[in-house]
Amino acid sequence: MSPIKVRMGLLARAALTVVILAIATVTVAPQALADDAAAQAKALKRVERELRQLRADRAHDRKVIEQLKQTVDQMEGQAAQLKSANEQVKSAQTKTAQQVSEIQGRVNSGPSPRQFSQAFGSYFGTHTFEITGAAGVDYIYDQQSGALNGLPHQSQNTFLADWEPMILYRPTDWILFEGVISTAFGATGTGADLSTADFQLQLNDYLTVVGGLFDQPFGDWYEAQSPMWVNRFVSAPLPFGVDPVVPPGEMGVQLRGGLQWGALGQDFDYTTWVGDGAGYSEPVAGAAVGSPNPVAFTQTNGKGYGARLRIYPLPVDANWGRLELGASTYDSKWLDGSWYNSWGVDYNYFIGHLQTRGEWTQAYRDIPGGPSDNRQGWYVQAGYYLSGVHLPFGPEINKVVQRLEPLIRYSGVNQHFVAIDDIAAATGVGMGGIQTGLVPDFGLNGSPALYAPHSREVALGLDYWIAPSIVWQNEFDIELPEAGGTFVAGDGTMTPVGAVPNDRAFLTQFTIGF
Amino acid sequence: MRKLLFALLFAGLALGPFCGPASAADQMSKAEKGKLFLLGAQLWPTYCNQCHNARPGSEFSPQEWDAIMIHMRTLSNMPAKDARAIQEYLKGGR
Ligand code: HEC
Repeated sequence: MSPIKVRMGLLARAALTVVILAIATVTVAPQALADDAAAQAKALKRVERELRQLRADRAHDRKVIEQLKQTVDQMEGQAAQLKSANEQVKSAQTKTAQQVSEIQGRVNSGPSPRQFSQAFGSYFGTHTFEITGAAGVDYIYDQQSGALNGLPHQSQNTFLADWEPMILYRPTDWILFEGVISTAFGATGTGADLSTADFQLQLNDYLTVVGGLFDQPFGDWYEAQSPMWVNRFVSAPLPFGVDPVVPPGEMGVQLRGGLQWGALGQDFDYTTWVGDGAGYSEPVAGAAVGSPNPVAFTQTNGKGYGARLRIYPLPVDANWGRLELGASTYDSKWLDGSWYNSWGVDYNYFIGHLQTRGEWTQAYRDIPGGPSDNRQGWYVQAGYYLSGVHLPFGPEINKVVQRLEPLIRYSGVNQHFVAIDDIAAATGVGMGGIQTGLVPDFGLNGSPALYAPHSREVALGLDYWIAPSIVWQNEFDIELPEAGGTFVAGDGTMTPVGAVPNDRAFLTQFTIGF
Repeated sequence: MRKLLFALLFAGLALGPFCGPASAADQMSKAEKGKLFLLGAQLWPTYCNQCHNARPGSEFSPQEWDAIMIHMRTLSNMPAKDARAIQEYLKGGR
């Protein structure tokens, strides 16, 4: 029972007692009244006491009720707060659910990141940016023992440094950008040149499109053999040196690809290209073939076209080594309607420790009102790694010997005329124009014999391989005496040239392909 | 010559689907990848010694090989399937 109800019961009982007492007082005889007076007074006092007690209790109860009321009010306030907080939470939840379903909807209706990446040929997240290239330092000693009809000559001993960084940027798995800058420090200062800058788009398994400035895909030399660490010798073979038979580079577009026609390794491949065409230092017979020409170059109002085919007849499984046979042609208009035609054949064979390669090239050029300009050039070379050799001199010596590759190369150029002005201004392969005249340059020994109309050279090499692309190369060049020809000046004056001087040169080079 | 160029362009486009060549390797099963790796190991000493000394897989990271192999396939014109095999082999070098 609650304390309030108990007290209410007491109150009722007290009231009943008072009423009974009053009735008794009126109805009982006066005698009895006197007797009972004392008892009544006592009872009255008790009733009064009880009444006081009851009043105090009531005051206390009011207080308690008041407090309880306050508590209830407080609780009601808190409940209201909770309710509103709850409502806030609820509305936030509904919002989130709405957002989630909205995003879900968007994801379902559009392609997923994976689908997107597949749709774009895995375009995303496959970028690769890489710097490779080559660097080298070399020393050249050239006797320059004989003069060519009054050309100045003197002994040379020269240090040269060359750095050719290459940037490869691969935005996705079928596109590559390649750019090579050739920088050199030589006897006459520093030079820089943009060697290549092209895009390679591998459209499918049989077709790659290359666009930009590229090495001439004619033959093997320019494209596949000219980098310092790739070329087994320090110098370039004669037909790719100072008086090249075909231009070293081209600005245009190539289509190329390859396929297997027989057993594994029996491949065939093609390269065709169109570009700005050939240009020459001067419109005279024997003038130097120029580097890639700008579109509006006055000498080439027509384009140049080229094609190169290679075939590999040996199956890999036969273990007969790898043989490559190639044929190239490059034809262009130059000087408006005049023709430049060239063609060449080449081979490359390696088996075990032996590798050998060679090329033959020929060019014919129309000269308006003058003699036609014919050139032939060739080289053949062989090298043998001594890595399989064991000499009876202990392991230390064998370790050194087994890193050696002895080499030999024979190269030559035939041309009836040489433009004498080119000798003073000649530049080396891929160089930034730092070479002048008979001063040696990377890839050139500086011998006057190189500028002879009929030059022949035997190069003996000894390479010390530190790693597959780190090598210390040594070369001894012997220029062989050969028939003379004619020097032509810019104004057309012709002077006969005597036999080629019998010159010697030594070149040593440390180079890294990285 | 011009006609030959166009004929080659169209023949090339007709021969194969217009697609990224290496992406096919990403979707291969383990067994197929293993076969490709073995073929690459067989071809590497032959194809990659042709112009210069063969460079080992450990020289570059797999990502770097992805870029280099586009370059080398362009230069050598080697069959695309063989280039993919060598690429798989070289990428296992690191
Ligand atoms: C057709 C000749 C040729 C063949 C075949 C060839 N390379 Fe190369 N490689 C080159 C040349 C040339 C360079 C120098 C790059 C330059 O200067 O353009 C080079 C450079 C490189 C580099 C240096 C980085 C770069 O991209 O330039 C690496 C690594 C390399 N080759 C690896 C290989 C591998 C692996 C193979 C076999 C799949 C191969 N090469 C087959 C010609 C070839």
